[in-house]
Parts: sequence; C-alpha cells; structure tokens
Amino acid sequence: MSETFAVLGLFDSADALMEAIPKVRAKALGRVEAYTPYPVHGLDEALGLRRSPLGGMVLVMGVLGVLTALLFQWWMSAVDYPLVTGGKDPSSWQAFVPIMFEIMVLFATFTAGLGMLLLLNRLPHWGHPVLQSQAIRGITRDRFALAVEADGAFDPASARSALADAGALEIEVLPVPAAGPMFTASFIQRSLAGIAAACVVSGSLLYWAIKLMPVLPPMVHMENQPKLDPQESSTFFKDGHGMQLPVAGTVARGFLPFAMTTPEQSAGLVNPLPRTPAVLARGRAQYQVHCAVCHGVLGDGVPTLTAAYGAKPANLHTPAIRAYSDGTLYGTIVLGKNAMPSYAADMAVDDRWAVVHYVRALQRALNAKDEDVR
Amino acid sequence: MNPEASYPSGLPQTLRAPAMTVGTVTPGSLDDQVLRFPAQAPPRKWYLALAFTSLVACIGMGFIGYTFYTGIGAWGNNSPVFWAFDIINFVFWVGIGHAGTLISAILFVFRKRWRNAIARFAEAMTIFAVMCAGLFPLIHVGRPWLAFWLAPYPNQRGLWTNFRSPLLWDVFAVSTYFSVSLMFWYLGLLPDLASLRDRTAPGIRKTLYTILSLGWRGAASHWQHYEKAYLLLAGLATGLVLSVHSVVSFDFATSIVPGWHMTIFPPYFVVGAIFAGFAMVVMVLIVVRESMDLQNLITDFHLEVMNKVILGMSCLMGYAYVVEAFTAWYSMNPILHHTFLNYISGTYGWAGWLTMGCNVAIPQLLWFRHCRRSYFWMILVALGVTVGMWFERFVIIVVSLHQDYLPSAWHNYRPTLVDYGILLDSFGIFFSLVLLFARVLPVIATTELKAILPGAQPGHGAHHE
Amino acid sequence: MSASRTRKVLWSFTALGGAGVAASYFVAGAPRFWANWTVWFLYLFTLALGALFLVALEHLVSARWSVPLRRIPERVASLLLPLVAVGIVALGALPVLYPGAKPEAASDPVLAGKAFWLGVPFFSVRVLFCLALGLLPLWILIRGSLRQDRDRDPRFTIRARRFAPLCMAIFALLVTVAAFDWIGGLDPGWYSDVIGVYLFAGAFLAGLAATTLAVLSLKGQGRLQGIRFDHLYNLGGFLFGFTVFWAYIAFAQYMLMWYANLPEEVVWYQAHLGGLWLGVALLLALLHFFVPFFALVPRDAKGDMKRLRWVALVVLAAHWLDLYWLIFPALGQRPLFSWPELAFALFFVGGALLWLRGAMETGEDMPVGDPFLEEGLEFRL
Repeated sequence: MSETFAVLGLFDSADALMEAIPKVRAKALGRVEAYTPYPVHGLDEALGLRRSPLGGMVLVMGVLGVLTALLFQWWMSAVDYPLVTGGKDPSSWQAFVPIMFEIMVLFATFTAGLGMLLLLNRLPHWGHPVLQSQAIRGITRDRFALAVEADGAFDPASARSALADAGALEIEVLPVPAAGPMFTASFIQRSLAGIAAACVVSGSLLYWAIKLMPVLPPMVHMENQPKLDPQESSTFFKDGHGMQLPVAGTVARGFLPFAMTTPEQSAGLVNPLPRTPAVLARGRAQYQVHCAVCHGVLGDGVPTLTAAYGAKPANLHTPAIRAYSDGTLYGTIVLGKNAMPSYAADMAVDDRWAVVHYVRALQRALNAKDEDVR
Repeated sequence: MNPEASYPSGLPQTLRAPAMTVGTVTPGSLDDQVLRFPAQAPPRKWYLALAFTSLVACIGMGFIGYTFYTGIGAWGNNSPVFWAFDIINFVFWVGIGHAGTLISAILFVFRKRWRNAIARFAEAMTIFAVMCAGLFPLIHVGRPWLAFWLAPYPNQRGLWTNFRSPLLWDVFAVSTYFSVSLMFWYLGLLPDLASLRDRTAPGIRKTLYTILSLGWRGAASHWQHYEKAYLLLAGLATGLVLSVHSVVSFDFATSIVPGWHMTIFPPYFVVGAIFAGFAMVVMVLIVVRESMDLQNLITDFHLEVMNKVILGMSCLMGYAYVVEAFTAWYSMNPILHHTFLNYISGTYGWAGWLTMGCNVAIPQLLWFRHCRRSYFWMILVALGVTVGMWFERFVIIVVSLHQDYLPSAWHNYRPTLVDYGILLDSFGIFFSLVLLFARVLPVIATTELKAILPGAQPGHGAHHE
Repeated sequence: MSASRTRKVLWSFTALGGAGVAASYFVAGAPRFWANWTVWFLYLFTLALGALFLVALEHLVSARWSVPLRRIPERVASLLLPLVAVGIVALGALPVLYPGAKPEAASDPVLAGKAFWLGVPFFSVRVLFCLALGLLPLWILIRGSLRQDRDRDPRFTIRARRFAPLCMAIFALLVTVAAFDWIGGLDPGWYSDVIGVYLFAGAFLAGLAATTLAVLSLKGQGRLQGIRFDHLYNLGGFLFGFTVFWAYIAFAQYMLMWYANLPEEVVWYQAHLGGLWLGVALLLALLHFFVPFFALVPRDAKGDMKRLRWVALVVLAAHWLDLYWLIFPALGQRPLFSWPELAFALFFVGGALLWLRGAMETGEDMPVGDPFLEEGLEFRL
C-alpha cells in the first residue's frame, strides 16, 4: 500500500471553502493547502500564507535593469568607441534614458514572470499528485478543494473525518506517486542530449544567418555593382571601351587654358608671386625636378641626360634668354619650344611662376656684378 | 448595500448597475461555452475567412520578397520623402497594439472588472499587432538580411550601435513591448490552459495543453504569487503603454523637420494609439461576439464603454490638433506655418481633411446612445477611426517631408503597387493570426471571468466593477 | 489645539505674511513681488482646478469608490472663488514680467505678428474669461452636490455625469490657456505645445495631494469614519501614477528640446538650467519624482496614513517649487529665496487654509445624497 500524499475534500462554493478552512486548520493534522479554479479573496490570510516576496524581487531587479542599461550604454558610447553624433557629447545621459526605462521594464517583467513560475511556484512540475487525481477536473472548472497534506505522522482517517465534518461534498485520498527519483541517469542523459541538440541547432542557425546567408545571392553585399570600373568594357560607348578620354575642351582643375599660342605673345604677363626666400626655394625644388634634367642644375644647358638624347637644351644664361621677360619664360614653360614639350600638365600655375623667379636668380648668379658680392 | 434600496421609487434607469453578464452564468457553464471552441471543428465560414486572409498575406509576402530582391526603389519612397508607407504602417500597427495592453493592464490596475471578458482577446490582438509592426523596420532597411546589425553585440567591425538614435530606442522599446505582452498574455492563459487540459480526452491536444500549462493546479500558495506577478506585470505594462508609443513619437519629435518637432508628440501619439486600437478591438470583438454567440459574456455594456473611450480619445485628439495648430501659429515660424497650411491645402490637403473628419468629427456620433449600441454606427465609426488614424500618420510623415526647408528639394510622393501590397499583407497577417487564435485558444479569460461572477467571492453577493 | 486657537494662529500668520507681502513690493522691488504673486496665483489656481478635475473625473467615469471622498475635493475646488480676486490682482504682473505685454513688443520682429495676442488687453480678457469660466463647473457640480445632500434627488447624479465631459473641456481650456499665457508668456519667443499637459500633470497632483491631506486631517479629527485603507490606497495609487506621468512629460519636453538643439527653444532651458538654477531643477526632480515614487512603490505604503501625509506634503511643496522654477528665472537673477518668498508663503498658505477650514464646514463631510455612497463605503480592493 503506497503512502498517502494528501486527503482532498471538495466543496462547491468559495463560501463553503472559507468556512471549512478554520475548522480543518484547528485540528492541526498536516499542512493545509487549498485548490481553487480562480483566486479567492481572503484565502491567503485564512491559510496563514506568508507575504509574497515577489514585489521586493522585482523592485531590486528593476533598479538593476536601470543601472545595467546605463552602464552598458555609457561604456559603449563614451568609453569603448566614442563617436560624436548629432553634435552631442558621447556620454550624454539624456539619450540613454528611454532604453534605461525599457530595460528596467524588461528585467522587472522577467523577474516577475519567471521568478513567480520557476522560483516561487516551482513550475513547471508535471508530476504533482493532484494532477493525477479525480478532483483536478473539478478544480479547474468550478470546484474548490481543501487538501490536508502529509507532514510527518499522518492519519488519513482523521483527515477524512475532519474534512467531512467541515462540509466536504467528496473526499479523495491521494497516494504518493510511484515514480522514482527524478534525476535518473536516463533523465540526465536525455536532458544533456536535448541541451546539446539545442545548442547545435541554434549555433548553426546563428552561423548561417550571420556568416553564410549574407553572402548568398541575391544578398551578395553589392559585389556586382552596375558602375564602371577601370579597364572594364562598356556597351554604353560606341567603341566598347569603359575608359574614355575627356571630351574635347575639358579643362583639368587648377589648369586654366592658356590664351597665348607662342611664348612671345605672353611677354606681357607679370609674375604674380613675390620674390621671397620661400618662393625661391619652391622654384628651386620645381626646377630641379622638371628643368634640371635638360637645362642643367646651373641652367647652363649642360644636361644631366646623356648625350644620346639628341636635342640641345638651351643655355639659360645667353643674352637672348636673359633678355626674355618673365612672361616669355612663363609662356615657354606652358607652351614648350622646339623640342621642349609643354610642362603645363606637370606644373601648377604657381610652381611655374616660382621657377621663373628661380631662373632669374640663377641668371643673376652666373652673371654677377661686383656690387652683388659686396 | 444595494443603492436601489435607498430609493424605494427605484433608481433612474441610467444609474442602475450595468449588466456585465446576461442571464445565469456559472463557472461550469462559462467553461462549457467558451472552452468548447478549441475542441470542436470550426464552421465553414472560418475556413473561408482564413483562406481569404492567408491569400492576402501570401500575396503580400510575395511583394516583400520582390522588395528584398530589387531594393527599396520598388517602393514610392524618394528624396525628400524618405519615409512613407513603411513607417506609417509601423506606427499604425504599434498603435493598434496599445489598446490591448490598456484594456488588459491599465484597466486591471484600476480594478475595472468589466475588462475581464475582453482582456484575453485584446492582449492577443496586441501581440499580433506588434508582430505586424515589427515586420516594417525589418523590411524597410536596404539589406534586411543584415538587420541583426541593429543589435549591440560585439562584432568584428568594432562598432557599437548608435544609442543616441531614436530608431534604436524603437528597437528596444518594441522588442521589450513584445516580450512583456507575450509574458503577460501567457501568464494569463496558464489557468485557462489548465482548464483545457483537464477537459480534454487524452491525446495530442491534451499533451500539448499539459506541457503549456506547466502543471498548473490552482494551489492557493501558487495563486498568491501568481496574483502578485500579474499585478506587477500589469503595472509594468501600463508604463510600457506610455513609453513605447512615446519612443515611437521620438522618431519624429527629436528631428527638426517642420511639423515633427512638437513637444506634444509623446502624449499625442499615445492617445492616438489607444484611439486606433480601441476602434480595431471594437470591430473584431463584434465579429467574435456574433460568430461565437458570446453575447451574454461580451455584453452591450462592454461595447458601450469601449465606445465611450473612443469618444473620449477623439476629444483628446481634437485638443491635440487645436494646440498644435495654435502653437504653430504662435511660433511665428513661416516654415512651420507653411507646413500646417499644407496639412489642409496643397497636394495632400484632402488627407488632412480626411484625418480630421474621421478622427474628430465622425466619432462625435458616439455622443448619441443609439450610436453606441447599434452595430452599424459602431462599425462605421470604428472603420472611420482606423482609416483616419492611418491617414493621420500619412499626413504627419508625407506632408511634412515632401515640402520642408529647402524648396529645391521639394518633391511629391506617390505610393507604388508594392506599397499597397505590403500594407494589405500586414492586414492579412493580422487577421489570419486572429482567426487562428480564436480557433486554438480560449478567446475569453474564463478564469478571470469566473472570479467576478455573482457569488464567486466569499461574503459578497454583488460583483465589483 | 482648539479650533478657535488654530483660527487665531492662522489669522496671525496670514496677517504677518500680508504685511511682508506689502513690504516686499517696496523693498524687494516690483518684479520680485509680481513673480511671487504669479507663482502663488498659479499654485492655488492649479490646485483648485486639480481638485475640480478629480470631482469631474469621478462623474465622468461613474466611479463608486471615490463617492465617500468626493466632498473633500469639492470643498478644495471652492478656492476658485477667492482666486478670482487674486487673479485680477495678478494682472498687474503683465507690464512688469511679460515682455509680450510691453509696448516694445509691437516692433520686435518675432513678437510683432502675435502682439495682439500677447498684449495687455487680450491677455487680460483671457485671464478674466478663464477665471469666470472656472466658476461654471463650481456652480453646476459643487452647488448641485451640496443641494443633493438635502433633497436626495438622484437626478443630480445624472446631470453631473452629463455635464462632466463639458467640465473636462473647460478644464482643458483653462489649464492650457494658463500654461501658454502665464508660463509661456514670460519668454514669448519660446514655445512648447506640451506645457498645457505639463501644467495639468502638476495641477492634478496638487489637487490630489491637497485632497489627501484634507482627508487625513479630517480623519485625524474623527470625521470621515467610513474611509478605509482601500480608499486611501486608491488615492495613493493616483499620486504614484501621476508622479510618474509628470516626470514623463517633464523629461519628454526637456529631452526633445535638448536633442533638436534649436536656438529658439534651448534658450529657455539655458535660463532654467544655468548656474544655480541647475540645483533648483535637480531638487525639483528629487522632490517631484524620486522621493514620492520610491516612497509610494510598496503596496502597503500607498494606503498608509503616515506615509501618505508626508508624501502629500512633499508633493505640494514640489508643485510650488515647480512653479517657482518655471517663473522666477524670468527675473534674470540667480535663485532668490528669502523673506519675501516666506512672507508670500505665509500669506497665501494661511489664507488658503483659512478659506478651506471654512469650506470644510459646508455641507456634510460625505455626499449623503449620492445614491452610490453606500457602495462606495463598502468598496474593497
């Protein structure tokens, strides 16, 4: 004969139940529990239940939620990778408040819900004897049950008579279920296998979602873009080339068209740059890069090129060239002369004028008068 | 003591206690009436309705797939109307969800017992509405398969999300709202699932109910913690009703777009949400009431009270419109003046008039008792409110965006077929889920209703309100 | 303390305060005098309106639990009668504190377009209209409630329910106009459409707190025997909820203006959060939100008489601080608090208490003619 878990008495109204409770509790036969289809007012006090600690738990977790949200947001926004967005300071608390409130509610909610279920009520629990009883059909419908649960030395017969005296309509004796201990080896095995399976499945899903799916067509990270890359062909242009020369008359930035056609025509241009050491240094640098290869470091037509080049670069110290105006020198740089190509594309406007200054300095240096030395 | 006893000549009809249930309702008869639906086969019209809504939903899903493949260019969004149907629908559906939480949580906190008959259904509608709403932020990003980038997880880009953006606050707010609503709804369902479990013959359905009810057995020590948790969740959900739609309103109010940066937006949006949500609840509840023969549980009183709430919210919307218009004038900001004139004239002036007509004018019909009790007028007003609230979002978003500070950037907006398809899709999904819910789970919270029936509680004869 | 002794003490405080008030006009200067007068006018006006809102709300939603309590906010709302005089005097603040009411406003580029709205004539007409309109719900709801004590006619309850929506509309108009005019008008270039809702939140809280204090004080005298924990819990619950609501509106307005950073809006916050005013703002957040919130969070605390008493006092003080913080920065100085402010406090608190003591003797302590009084007394959570 199996042990008795509890003796259940059924009543058909909340009033009847409430009247029965003090009578049964007075007999002190065991732990008294009630089962009702809905919450009945005053039942807690009648059964002597302690206040639920859930309110305090939720308050603590709510405050924790606020602080957690504040800490996380502040760390992410102001410490780990501070970015100024919208002109606001990275640690501006005002922007953190909405999420702090939401996380507070989230923490509090899960504490209330899961704390109530898992911690306080110890649900889910499908093995309780009442669930296997006849009475449960009535309990979740419209019957009220009072149970005297075995607590140490327990006499089912006196519990039966106590419930009958209190006015129970039906009485049922619940045996302790025959099931063995919960944590059997097979149960643990199955649980672990289930957990492992869940981990594998969710891990795979995550991996697929984050790593694989974004690179499958049509989600190809904009790999195939309908824009023109260098060296690509194109059906848009008649010759099938993607790369085309600029349209005739295109002017590059900083390279304004030069109105003159011969250097002599540009004789009237005036050097806009002042003759300062900085400008001269710039001119020297540009000269040494662009001009010295042919005209020589001293401007005397002794090139650093080998003679195999063929052409004879001009000596910049001849009286003819010394008589050139600044504008003519400038025009020579821009238009080229004889074998000298145009250097307009290689030198910016200011650089050209700086070189003109430098050439003038060179000319003066190689034709110095006594006064210059004194 | 019955107030009628002090008045031997009888209280005037209007002051008599309203009927929350009609006829004799006992816990047993309640179970039999409501819990028989998950057990029996649904009528043919249910299948027809579900087929229709699923068809709409599937066609809409096709449009969404097309959008994924082609890009947002398939929609009508342009410069400067960067947000259009996508955000309108998002705000619309989040708003509809709020009525469910108000009925379920706020009325619980105020101990309005009449909410017990309609709370379960309203909460379910909230969850489905939030699901529909959540669809839109996901699909309106250019690369939806990378939407998880919105979550602040450690990643190889070394980046965190921008916590200063209201769009991210939205992500947190709406996901919190969904989680909390789901938890609240599920906890409320627990005892009803236990009832279902104990009524069902052994089989797959009973196993399912057994698992889902977590072994609930109605123990008084459990009820104690349960009641406390439910009250706490109701209080927290109340806070969410205010905060979630306020965070949604921050999407607009934190910007400087003319007509968007109005500080009244947070409470104004919350009122609008409750307004639109109640209209949807009224419409669906009428259908449920008639098709499932629940007139004795969802009574005329319930419908009348909900209509009064709709009327009250309509007046608050009117207040908000007046204050906004006045403030726009008071600001002496010519661009704001231009925007507000655009609301009632210009390309979309018709939408502004439609909005005000549907939101403020038509619901005034509910001042008349006849309209509050007649299905035709109720549904007319509710439909008007639904349309009006959708167009209100349209007016706020499209009208403000299409002509703001720089006239050279002004451009009109035209929705495309894909836009309409996705809007209909959201309705299809919502109503499909509602139909499925009505078939599978109890539409009325039988446990909660049992607790307020006459004679349910010890010592009191009358039920509370 | 016996009733007559209390009356004598109150009269002497009020007289002392009155002398201080008069002196402060000459010693502390007109602007400070008018700032104080405006703060106290708005304080008592919003408090009375908040109590009136409570009465109208009960009729609107046909609440039963609050019927035994209803006479208290009805009596508090009667403050609207002497406030007509206070409001008329407050019109003197217009040319001193309100830039829009000064003649220069007509030529200011921003204010010129609304100069007729901000100017003294229309402003005064609005104020007088609002003061008078506030008396209409007083006449219909409260006078009718007192008459119902005698004739026990349930038709008043029906009339009150029918009138309640209009009363709500009147309340919305009064609070919004008061907020835009008295608070917004101090800086006429600034605008915020939520200040009406903001003032409503503060007003309802003040009305609730005053009602709670009055209920507790009467219970201490042995009156209002039928009011139990259940009723007080509901009052505490409202206080709790609307504390959160006030904080929500206040933060929303601040955060939106901070975020957009528009010059025409931020200038208001710069004045109200600059220098020592930041300390006042933080104190306001503490007293108006954090303290009442955490004090009323526990369930038992919401109905506990001792807790409710001091929380209600804190809320009333916080509402004054709120109006002080809203209005005094217009003086352009650091926060001022010395004998003029105390004198005004003595004068107005004393005067209000004197009026309310008289009001607490009008009619029965509970609306005995209301058909739902019994049901209200039997109310259980």
